[in-house]
Amino acid sequence: MFDLKRTPFHERTSKLSLPQNWRRWAGYIVAGSYDLVLDREYWAIRDAAALIDITPLMKYIIEGPDAAKLLHRMTPRDVLKMAVGQVFYTGWCDDDGKMLDDGTISRLSDTKFRLTSAEPSLRWLAMNAVGMDVTISEVTDQVAALSLQGPKSRTILNKVCAKSLDKLKFFRLTETKLAGVPVTISRTGYTGDLGYEIWMPADKALTLWDALIEAGRDYGIVPCGILAMDMARVEAGLFMIDVDYTATSHAWIAGQKSTPFEMGLGWTVALDKPGYFVGRRALEREYKEGSAWRLVGLEIEWEGLEKLYASVGLPPQIPGMAIRASLPVMHNGKQIGYASTSTWSPVLKKYIALAHLQRPHFEPGTRVAMEVTVEHHRLHAPATVVKTPFYEPEWKRK
Amino acid sequence: MAYDAIIIGAGHNGLVAANYLAKAGRKVLVFERRGIAGGQLVTESFGDGFSANSLHASAQLRPDIVRDLGLNLPAASARSPYVCLLGDGRRLTIDADPVRARDAIREFSARDAERWPEFVAFMDRAAAFLDAAYRTPMPRLLHFAPVREGLPLASLLWKLRRLGGRDMFRCVRAMSMSAEEFTDNWFESDALRAAIAALAIHGVTLGPMSAGTGFTLMHNWLNRGGLAHQPVAGGVGSITTALVDALKARGGEVRTSVDVQSIIVDRERATGVRLASGEEIPAPLILSAADPRYTLLKLVGAAELPPEFVWQAQSIKLRGCVAKVHVQTNGQHGLPEGTLAVAPSIRYLERAYDAAKYGEISKEPYLEVTTSSSTKECNVVSMHFQFAPYALRNTDRSAANSIVGQRAVDTLDAHCPGFKASVKRMHVITPRDLESTYGLSEGDLNHGQLILDQIFFMRPLPGWSKHATPVDGLFLCGSGVHGGGGISGASGRNAAQAIIKDLR
Amino acid sequence: MAANQYDAIVIGAGHNGLVAASYLARAGKKVVILERREIVGGAAMTEEIFPGYRFTEFSYVVSLLRPEIIRDLELPKHGLKILPLPSTVTPLDNGDYLGSWDDHDLTRQEVYRHSPKDAEAYDEYSRVMARAAKAIKPIISMVPPDPSSLSPRDLLGLLKLGQYARSLSEKELYRIAKLVTQSSADLLDEWFEFDPLKGTKSASGIIGTFLGPRSPGTAYVLLHHYMGEIDGAFRAWGFAKNGTGGVSAAIASSARALGVEIRTNAPVDKVIVKGGVAAGVALQNGDELRAKIVLSAADPKRTFLQFVDGKHLPDDFVQSIKGFRVRGSSGKVNIALNALPDFTCLPGEGPLHRGAISISPSVDYIERAYDEAKYGQFSKNPYIDMIIPSMIDRDMAPPGHHVMSCFVQYAPYDIEGGWDDAKRDAFGETVISTIEKYAPNIRQCIVGKQVITPKDIERIAGITGGNIFHGELLLHQLFFFRPAPQWADFRTPLPGYYFGAAGAHPGGGVMGAPGKLAADAILKDGG
Repeated sequence: MFDLKRTPFHERTSKLSLPQNWRRWAGYIVAGSYDLVLDREYWAIRDAAALIDITPLMKYIIEGPDAAKLLHRMTPRDVLKMAVGQVFYTGWCDDDGKMLDDGTISRLSDTKFRLTSAEPSLRWLAMNAVGMDVTISEVTDQVAALSLQGPKSRTILNKVCAKSLDKLKFFRLTETKLAGVPVTISRTGYTGDLGYEIWMPADKALTLWDALIEAGRDYGIVPCGILAMDMARVEAGLFMIDVDYTATSHAWIAGQKSTPFEMGLGWTVALDKPGYFVGRRALEREYKEGSAWRLVGLEIEWEGLEKLYASVGLPPQIPGMAIRASLPVMHNGKQIGYASTSTWSPVLKKYIALAHLQRPHFEPGTRVAMEVTVEHHRLHAPATVVKTPFYEPEWKRK
Repeated sequence: MAYDAIIIGAGHNGLVAANYLAKAGRKVLVFERRGIAGGQLVTESFGDGFSANSLHASAQLRPDIVRDLGLNLPAASARSPYVCLLGDGRRLTIDADPVRARDAIREFSARDAERWPEFVAFMDRAAAFLDAAYRTPMPRLLHFAPVREGLPLASLLWKLRRLGGRDMFRCVRAMSMSAEEFTDNWFESDALRAAIAALAIHGVTLGPMSAGTGFTLMHNWLNRGGLAHQPVAGGVGSITTALVDALKARGGEVRTSVDVQSIIVDRERATGVRLASGEEIPAPLILSAADPRYTLLKLVGAAELPPEFVWQAQSIKLRGCVAKVHVQTNGQHGLPEGTLAVAPSIRYLERAYDAAKYGEISKEPYLEVTTSSSTKECNVVSMHFQFAPYALRNTDRSAANSIVGQRAVDTLDAHCPGFKASVKRMHVITPRDLESTYGLSEGDLNHGQLILDQIFFMRPLPGWSKHATPVDGLFLCGSGVHGGGGISGASGRNAAQAIIKDLR
Repeated sequence: MAANQYDAIVIGAGHNGLVAASYLARAGKKVVILERREIVGGAAMTEEIFPGYRFTEFSYVVSLLRPEIIRDLELPKHGLKILPLPSTVTPLDNGDYLGSWDDHDLTRQEVYRHSPKDAEAYDEYSRVMARAAKAIKPIISMVPPDPSSLSPRDLLGLLKLGQYARSLSEKELYRIAKLVTQSSADLLDEWFEFDPLKGTKSASGIIGTFLGPRSPGTAYVLLHHYMGEIDGAFRAWGFAKNGTGGVSAAIASSARALGVEIRTNAPVDKVIVKGGVAAGVALQNGDELRAKIVLSAADPKRTFLQFVDGKHLPDDFVQSIKGFRVRGSSGKVNIALNALPDFTCLPGEGPLHRGAISISPSVDYIERAYDEAKYGQFSKNPYIDMIIPSMIDRDMAPPGHHVMSCFVQYAPYDIEGGWDDAKRDAFGETVISTIEKYAPNIRQCIVGKQVITPKDIERIAGITGGNIFHGELLLHQLFFFRPAPQWADFRTPLPGYYFGAAGAHPGGGVMGAPGKLAADAILKDGG
């Protein structure tokens, strides 16, 4: 009653988390990490397999003859063209073309979809569904979800899955059984590595957790908290709501809002698709006129950084986790944007950031400078605009 | 045959808009769902020798419309007296002539009698201002063209200022007042205050103690030209006839018994209409004189509109509460000439409204009664009945008509004994009938309640007071848009003028 | 300077009078405050009605006390503490409850339990209202210009207002336009489906008005509830240490420290007018005090119809003040308890006891309560907003004992036949039996009870009509029009006479803004 929600995995995760650093996520509490340092969890993502509790993601089942029509109208993607078993990643907008949220759409059948979102979306779905023959149900608490990410994830799943996942392509899903429990597995994730997300009935959550841990024992499976995932997602060039952009519904002023083009999601906007979709006119205009700013990748030049630290006699000091703080980005002494998340990339051995830069400074190759605090002094380290993802292993899509 | 514009609905606003467009050289086609044109302005027969003005006892198009369109209207009869039945056998008869009215009021309060002429003069000035406001296009806030839209607005504000400090404040403040408070500022006699308050709540789902009934009083005063009706010779249907004739003379077409099923929209642009028969008729301009909610959510469909807009359209307050009771009598009804009001006190009216808040039909309704001196048969009595809410909570819907009929007759009989004995047959129109027969969503005669958040630049919706819609080429011209509410033709005129200006 | 000779005289030591006097003294003026009663505070006062039990007799929560006043007058130094009031619980007729807590996730979870749709709407609604409050706030701290005047000051004021409007987005403007004109029931119907949620929200739209939630114009009052949250002082809603009397005491202490003389037991007879300007004040005991500036912090009726002869004021103005609606619509029942009331919906001592408990199960419930009041009866099933100050501030009652403050609406000032002891008792009984439905042990816990009707508010606090806001919050009684058209800038038609109380812009609530703005006007005029 006077308590936050726990996920169905809490019984396991609460015993495993050494630092007991609980984080709030959409009304739930989840483990920030399981180890006292993040290295083991991070490297599990990049080299073995990491098991992440992603139950707090908002989940909705949209069912009925107009289900496709509803999502087609609500999002900028051409949902009418979507095949059964396909998964779309997309943002969605208000009618001014400003992003409300982002998530995935899974086509479970001709007339049945699952939508995941970060923000509660029942109301927005209902507002879009007026006059449509469709039922919308929230299943956030009924459907538990685990993300198994890392190069060994397929091998582990194949061990416990009723059918082989070898043929399951990137951003596709399949219905199968895992340890005898019917589940949906989608080849999706938030790490930019090979990975799968497993959607299961909440009451079978512990059975599946145990089965996966058991199956992965010989392959280095590691329970992983959201802090390590946060580093991986920056390397993958994936942004996070409330950190890298403000949901339009939460924005106090126009300047806090973002569009899909600005967020680098131009590829999801199907301007030529048939029918009305929310934000169409505004997005068409922006497409023609160009965006005022864009979310891009920044690589901070190590030598420059070293120099700044060396000037006070220190070696470079970068925190071992993603930094969710706004850092000004400069060009010729003038601020032209800000980095919203920055992190040390253990695999790339680079200091990288996701940054919002004004036109024309967002073109790859542009040299800018990002603020770093060196021994209590704010200095600027040279950086270069790069294409994201920063890191993309060949096995991610294969 | 290619049309420049299709108008949905041959009510007075649809016909006025069609006439203006035709006058500007456009080829127009008007569709009417019913077998007769006229919308709310119809005089119909309910049986042998039993015909009446179905919904409105009288109607006046704005004089500029009559002039602009060169309408051939029957000459207006003299304004009838307004007779308030006070329940104790007493009557307050307010004549259109202020001096005679003053004498009658003196029996109730000498002080009020002295103030009456001043009150009438103030109301006329306030109504004139409102008329000017209804003629002035309401631009979007912050986004208006300084010259084209700003100037008319500035001139309107100047008119307001010219009323003088005192009247200006009186006028502006009165709009948000309750009729109870507004009349309290003027008069002490409850009978007189109730007589005025009755006009304030006429046609709206508000009580005299609701804030904003000061505005509806001005609105109704403007549209009626005073307290009492001014009957139309030949019935209100003759106005429709004049409008249709004028349109035909201008090369326009009216097709009745044609049900427009939807407006065809392709990527936020209207391209034509689809009829119930399946036939599609293209046109670059579509005007809908149907109410905004019906037009947007039924004819266009929510799927073609932005979700926030849909939500707003769903939130338009339409809440019909007026029923009409037409009674054929044996001629011995014993009612006096004029516009009769059963509105004995402010509290009586408020209690009648209380029922509507909870989805009940008023046990003691506010009635406005007209006898058929204007139609050929002088044995028909027509009653405007409030409140009979559209959304009934504990009343069987199928019993509503008989309950309304009975309560109307009983109430009038209590005030005018002997009336009941004269009743031969009845025809009752409830809000459900207004919806099914006359096509008024929720039976709202005004296509949207006349409440403070649904008038001026917020009519039909905030930001959409310029008759346009999110669908290019689709315009609204019915009572639900600025100028509207009541029978005046102002919305039709405003919409047509805005479109013509845009086309230029 | 001679005795009884001052720079400024302030009539009424309510919080607005105290604030105004303090600001004037702060600017170096010699100021005296005249208070009719033996204690300061006006409607914002705390009294020990039963030995050991202290009550805030009339007003009961502090939401809107302007932070700049707290800072300028250094009120924390003078003992002001505003303690948090973290929650609202509405007991439901089916034995369940609807709570809103100070944590967003918990509140969401709670609303979700009743309606998933409303849980989301609730978030969005709160944000929209907070944005609207942010947009309207500068207007509240603005001196309303006179739109009919062509004087440079008013034109500049209008221009400022226009410029401000231009700085808002179109959406915000429309939202504000709707909020000031809509009924709270209509507004809430657009957002929510769960009736107790709508009932509870709508209740805050009717406080201090003589309107029901279905009456247009009530949505605006809802907005006031979101003002506190955007002041940078998040969760500014609260309960003052020692009750609202604590607020008055702190301001009085600050005033004294600034050199203000406070005279209690000094009822004012008339404002002295010489040569068409205010020249001082005559007390009922015959004393005369002289000053070029007289500021009234009494209600508009007393200020203009009682203290000043009609001949000194224009007819139109007098008519406007006469027409100014001040119908009291609420009462209070203050209860001394020997134990906590045990609510069926959340048995035992719990977090609900630290917040507000609202009897507002539906919009219809409140509307029906209003229906009775408009025909001159107190509500048989009233809206009640309870708090238990002793749970927030342990100094309000003896250890283990409690005081409970019940704000009750509707209790019309003009009750049929007039208020008398029998009616007051019946009213008190109605309130107790209403609470009893939700907290059956309430009767056994009562050790003392004080019932206050609007008539009592008038008698004790000296507010004509007993309206807690000195004048109903009606659209045509706000901003430009408060208290009368053309005189909303704290000046009056009588030069040297100023007006700065809840009956002036921006209105009631323990906010202090009218007092401060009036003092600003005086100082601007070179007073």
